[in-house]
Amino acid sequence: MAPPSGNPTTLSEADRAYLASLAPQAASPYHALNPLTKAAIATIATLAAFVLGGYVAPLAILTVLVIPGAVAAGVLTRLTRVAVLISVPISISVALVSVFTRAGATVLFTVGPFDATAEGVDFAGQIIVRLFVTAMALGLFGLTTEPRAFVVDLERRGLSPRVAFAAAATLETIPLMVERALAIQAAQRARGLDTEGSLAARIGGVMPLVGPVILSSLTEVEERSLALEVRAFGRPGRRDQLWTLADDGRQRLLRWALLVGFILVLVGRVAGALPALP
Amino acid sequence: MSSSWFRVLVAAVVAIVALVAGLALYGSSIGGGTANPDTGLVPGSDAFMLVLALSLLLGFIAYAAIEFAQTRRLDSIARQFDTRTIVLMPIAIAINIVLGQTVGTALKIPLYLDSIGTILVGALAGPIPGALTGLLANLIWTFVLAGTPFGSPYAWPYAIVAAEIGLLAGVFGYYGFFRSRPNTSWPKLLGGLAAAIVILLGLVVYGVIPFYKGDFVFFGSSPTEGFFNVIAYGIAVGLILGLIALAIQLFVKRDLGVAFIVVGGAICGVVSALISAPISAFVFGGVTGSGADILVAAFQQAGSSLIDAVFQQGLLQDPIDKTIEFIVAFLLLQTLSRRFTARFPQGERAVGVIEA
Repeated sequence: MAPPSGNPTTLSEADRAYLASLAPQAASPYHALNPLTKAAIATIATLAAFVLGGYVAPLAILTVLVIPGAVAAGVLTRLTRVAVLISVPISISVALVSVFTRAGATVLFTVGPFDATAEGVDFAGQIIVRLFVTAMALGLFGLTTEPRAFVVDLERRGLSPRVAFAAAATLETIPLMVERALAIQAAQRARGLDTEGSLAARIGGVMPLVGPVILSSLTEVEERSLALEVRAFGRPGRRDQLWTLADDGRQRLLRWALLVGFILVLVGRVAGALPALP
Repeated sequence: MSSSWFRVLVAAVVAIVALVAGLALYGSSIGGGTANPDTGLVPGSDAFMLVLALSLLLGFIAYAAIEFAQTRRLDSIARQFDTRTIVLMPIAIAINIVLGQTVGTALKIPLYLDSIGTILVGALAGPIPGALTGLLANLIWTFVLAGTPFGSPYAWPYAIVAAEIGLLAGVFGYYGFFRSRPNTSWPKLLGGLAAAIVILLGLVVYGVIPFYKGDFVFFGSSPTEGFFNVIAYGIAVGLILGLIALAIQLFVKRDLGVAFIVVGGAICGVVSALISAPISAFVFGGVTGSGADILVAAFQQAGSSLIDAVFQQGLLQDPIDKTIEFIVAFLLLQTLSRRFTARFPQGERAVGVIEA
């Protein structure tokens, strides 16, 4: 059977306006930005922080690209807390690995066989600054963007509806899987499985939990794919979207400017035209 | 010339150009470089795997971009994904993220265990869906889950490694590495075992050993080497226990499939380590936030440079981690009903029993 060409029905302007009026009000102008714009800001800020290195450049990027957005969105305090929470564990690892074991000439102090070198402190400091900028940039994107919105917007821009489904379905699958794990854990406990107490008991309790969780999730594939297929999931072509996200020329310009700026920075750094900032 | 051949040609050219340019940028000279007499490594070869993986990815992107420009669709890629595969992908990604988050980050066990879902998709659906699942998993982990408690801003640099794992799992699945082979005849079993040992030894001698010509000795006797002895004995005991378990499976059930899985997992682990080590070193200062970071510290303390220390850590951890993940995936695939697995594009090839 040949696939139907074009969309037989399209939404009228009045329908579109009605659907748009149903969308929740954005909490701030920054929240209202197109998800691709926010993702571009986060990604370019992260990449530029790594390409430029040092302390000054990542902090400048943080000040210019991330903090104004966070202030506009009214989430600066919350964002800082989230970013610190996310970056502290890995930063501790960075500090321990680099400060005490990186070879260097200037020894600051000694703990047992480990010398803390100034070079190690410097290196760890740079990495931690970059990791913090990454956490801030991507955290701002996460705090101001409805998780499904980015996928919906990419689908409008031509991402395959099937890939979009896979990405969006992950959002629901994870909480479902956690719920299922709790149910299975309760069931195994009722059968006498020891899942608390000593480390050995906890490790011993992992397999009777993980096995059934994975297997029961996998067997659900059958039902889900049948349910999707009877709802024309396999139909080729584009879909009409009930939820469209606003975009405008200024945002498009900003995204291109960010991309071009990043490419210039990258080429400048690789060619050696841009000096390394402290 | 048909349009699909044009795409393949351009993709190949893009990949080769990217490979050459990447190696030139990194300071390697292909064929012309002189190997370091101590390590046998050509300068720049430490990033070869990463550059190769990135070039292949660029080639694939070029292919997709041309197809999109020609047809405004990605049909030849989308065709590989039937509805079942698409439904399996989010579940596989959730398995990756939930296991990776709890095992790697929360329990601080020096294993990642964040690729079991990717390996399952690769084995059941093929290399391209496997690679895409890996890539998507890490991108979703960062960008879609950003506002949820499961998100991690540090997952996306490793997307290329996850893609490689899915790709290799798909290739191994295609060649039947995940099939159970019970009751193999003794000559075949011993021959297969010998072949597996030769491959593993080759992998160790050419893939792993060149990275360990540092100032430290495993099983040394001086007191400063105490830490390395603990690690070495720990790994040795773990490997011996694992080998005993495998030998039981091999000789009691005479299941040669186990040898295939171990070889596949070890190859995947070495390749993953070679790709991910430069990423860890450049992006994260050599750490991953898991329990294995202590190894990086130890190797660095013993005199290795950061990048060498990360390779040394990765080449210890990744092959063990990936072998365990391949074995878990193998056991899960054997447990699933044949009716279920056979409906996936590659299910009949990848899973099942080859009776002698």
